[in-house]
Order: sequence, then C-alpha cells, then structure tokens
Amino acid sequence: MAIPGVGIIGDRINPGFKTTKALLEAEDIPGLQALAVRQVQSGAWCIDVTIGPRGYKDSHFLTEVIKALQAAVDVPLCFDYPDKAVQEVCLKAYDPAKAKGRKPLVNSLAETRLEMLDLFKIRPFQVVLMASERLEDGAAKSNKLTSEVLGVAKRMSAILTRDHGLSRGDMFVDVTIHSLISDLEGLTKMALEAIHTISNDPELKGVHIMGGLTNIGNMMPPIKFDGVSLRQMVENAFLTLAVPLGFDTIMGTPWNNFQILQEDNVVLKTLKDFNELQGLNAMRRLRQLWSQKQPEAGGMTARQ
Amino acid sequence: MEDKSKQLVQMISDMQEEDAVKLAREMLDAGYDPVKLLGHCREAMEMVGKRYEQGEYFLPELMLAGEMLKAIGDMAKPLIKQDAEGAKTVGTILIGTVQGDLHDIGKNIVTFMLEINGYKVIDLGIDVPVENFVESIKQHKPQVVGLSGFLTLAFDAMKQTIEAIKQAGLRENTKIMIGGGQVDETIKTYTGADAFGLNAMDAVSLCKQWVPA
Repeated sequence: MAIPGVGIIGDRINPGFKTTKALLEAEDIPGLQALAVRQVQSGAWCIDVTIGPRGYKDSHFLTEVIKALQAAVDVPLCFDYPDKAVQEVCLKAYDPAKAKGRKPLVNSLAETRLEMLDLFKIRPFQVVLMASERLEDGAAKSNKLTSEVLGVAKRMSAILTRDHGLSRGDMFVDVTIHSLISDLEGLTKMALEAIHTISNDPELKGVHIMGGLTNIGNMMPPIKFDGVSLRQMVENAFLTLAVPLGFDTIMGTPWNNFQILQEDNVVLKTLKDFNELQGLNAMRRLRQLWSQKQPEAGGMTARQ
Repeated sequence: MEDKSKQLVQMISDMQEEDAVKLAREMLDAGYDPVKLLGHCREAMEMVGKRYEQGEYFLPELMLAGEMLKAIGDMAKPLIKQDAEGAKTVGTILIGTVQGDLHDIGKNIVTFMLEINGYKVIDLGIDVPVENFVESIKQHKPQVVGLSGFLTLAFDAMKQTIEAIKQAGLRENTKIMIGGGQVDETIKTYTGADAFGLNAMDAVSLCKQWVPA
C-alpha cells in the first residue's frame, strides 16, 4: 500500500538480501529480471542496482545485469556504488530510451568524492546526495549533528545547481537511516531532525528527502504484532514520524505494506520513547518490545 | 557461595543487570576468588551467546551482557592482578574497531572473553586510524589482530587496514580476524582477512587454533 506523496525506489537488487545474493551467484538473469518486475508491479518508480563487490572487478557482468534489467522494466535505474569508475560502467550501460527517456540515478555523491561530478560528461542523471559524511580538513568525517547534515546538503546542492544545472527536484538527499537495534548514538532521532531541517530550509526547497528504510529493521527479532512483523512495524513507525516532516522517498522493499500507524501503536510509542533516550537506556526500552509481554490491546502475538 | 555463584550466572544470563552487579560486588567483598567469579561470567556469557544463536536474544541483550561483564570485570580484575603478578599469558591479541565505526560492544565482549581465556589483549578502542593499527603491531608484536566493525562502511576500512599492515611488511607473522557485523566468507575475502567470527566464542576458538596454550 502506498503512502500518498511518497515514492518508492526498490532496493532488492542487492546481494545484501540472501535470495538476491543467490540469484547473483548463479548469474540467474531471468530471476533478477523477475525481481525487478515484481518491484515495479508493487509500486517502485525506480530500481536500485548493486551486484556487490563483484561490480568493482567485473564490468562485463555488471553491464549484462543493467541491460537485462532495462529489457524487463521501463523505470529508471539507480546505480548504487560510491565509486566513479563503477558508475562510469553503469552510466554507459544505461539506455534512457528504455526508461521512457528518464534519467538514471547515481547513488551516491558525497562531499568526499566530488570527482564523481565528472560523470555528468557521460550523460545527465539525478543524484542521491549522501549527507551522512562531510569533508573537513581534507578528510571524511561522519556527521553526528543535524547542522552537519544540513551543511553538506546545502553545499552539494549549490555545486550541483550552479555548476551542473540540476534542478532541486533532481536531487535526493539521503539522510541515512541506521539500524535501530544498534543505534546507541541517537542517529535515528538525528535523521528525523535532519529531515525537518532540510525540508524547511529555503535554499533546499524542492529537493527530495530519502533514506534506506530497510536498514532500520535490520536484525530485529522475528516477532509479530497483530500479524505484522516487527521489522515492518519499525519501518512504518519511522515513516509515521518522518513523512509529516518532509521525507518523500523510500528506498525499500516495495511490497512491504508501508503505512502511517495509529497514535496508540505499541511500536510507534516505543520509537518515540527510544528517540528520547540514549545509549543502553534506549536499548533497554527497545528490548521491552519482546522481553515483556504487552497487554492484549498492544496485540503482541507469540514468537514465530 | 556455590548457590550464589549459580545465582550470579542466572542473573547475568537473564539480564537482571542491577541484581547481578550487586551480587558480584557482595561476593568479592566476602573474599570470593575473582578468577572464579570471572569464570562464572564466562559461563553466563556462553549462555547468553547460545540464546542469541537460538534466536531468543538479540543485539540489545548482547550489549547489556557486555555492560554487566564490564562492570563486574572492572571490580574483579584489579584484585586478580595483585594475585597473579607475572602470570604467563597464552599470547597477545591486538583488537580495535576500524576507522569510521564507533561500535564497541562486540569488541568489548571479545576482549573480555579472550582475557579470561588467558590472552593478553591490547584494545585500541573505536574509530582506530589505519596507522594506529600498524604502529601498535610494530610495538606489541601480537600474534593475532582482531578488526571489529558493525557498519558496512567498516568493510572498506578493514580492507584498507589489512592492506596497510601488508604494506608495512607485518602481514606474514600476523593472523587477522574480522567480526562485529554481518561478516561472511565474501567479506573475509574482500578485506583480505584470514578468518571471520560471528560471535565472541568464534574469536576465542580462532585464537586457540592460531595461538594454542
């Protein structure tokens, strides 16, 4: 189910998923094509593509995969490599005519790899801007503050608009969504604050704000609430908080039932509490989801 | 005391944090052997590890167990050092979370488990620059280096660290294990490590295999 105003970039062509890893290892091209088709049928307007570390060495196979995916679906592809040489292979393999003339996405540009801007010589593309790291004194630093994320987004947006003629609608700022179960530093809260700040900044008006939603539920216990997996509940809890702030693009699994949760949802309440806590206290609160049986109204079912 | 030691194992493995640390304090105050006490912690940690493998526990429980081990270890270790001055260590292990990654719970559990298995562990901390690993290997000459990282970006930092160790001519005499996140055979090959571990027990097994007592 779609959330009005929120687009989905399908993230399944990625060996981080065991089933996709098996398809890639077997070089099962029809299987990969079917996976792309399923994502589009489930609502994805774009398909993210990475074949993992093999992409750095095997440009032949990477090209074959891209051409095969474009033969199966007519949506743009989003190339998921933080590397100029690999992106060059991807952009050369991409045929806009097979995506109704639409540009591909390069995932991702960052302040720490501006050399990737040269890729505009190959063909026009939309850009995923990684806002989780910045360049400081010539070195890459992780952004831990909303102001740092905003600073990167503004500087990169200015370069892309001024020097490369991109419109803000061609930019997707990735605020980086971390795995909740290992977030000891309040990074989830920071991502939400960054979404709010970016969407309210006049210099960034019109940019898309996105994040890899699958990350947030990584390594969550396989328990269900009202028949829905905790993983998916956590994704929806994040969306419930993030969409009203300006988050408009999900990088995720398109057939997940994305929806806005009710105020009294137990997982949403947990996420709100989690965001107000730090370190192990946040973990202690999260753990209550499975270590304490919730009242019946909360709807916790037995473990599966 | 035997009842209390069983109780301690139970409390740690059941995540009764405050009670477990309080009981450990009481036992040490009553003169309980700190080495034995840490042995109980190891037993409890093995139970936690099993529950994790069986899908009953998850990352937060490992973190909380790590916190309990740290609290109890901080109380018990100073008492052991006085007793075992000059005690022989099995070997030296250098460990750290690679550059760009700030996660240390897994690394701390591995450090604890290696120490109570007789290894001298030099812990470089988190977000460790490549050159610190290289310099520390030169200084301490460990038999094994453990590179930890939870984030996927840690894989590149691991690769760079191992490459730098190789460039410095220190790779041949050093076994390197990686762990901390979703590592597997592919990541091991990508980074150039000798082995990977999915939990603290794996790290101990690898060290025992490479540096037997």
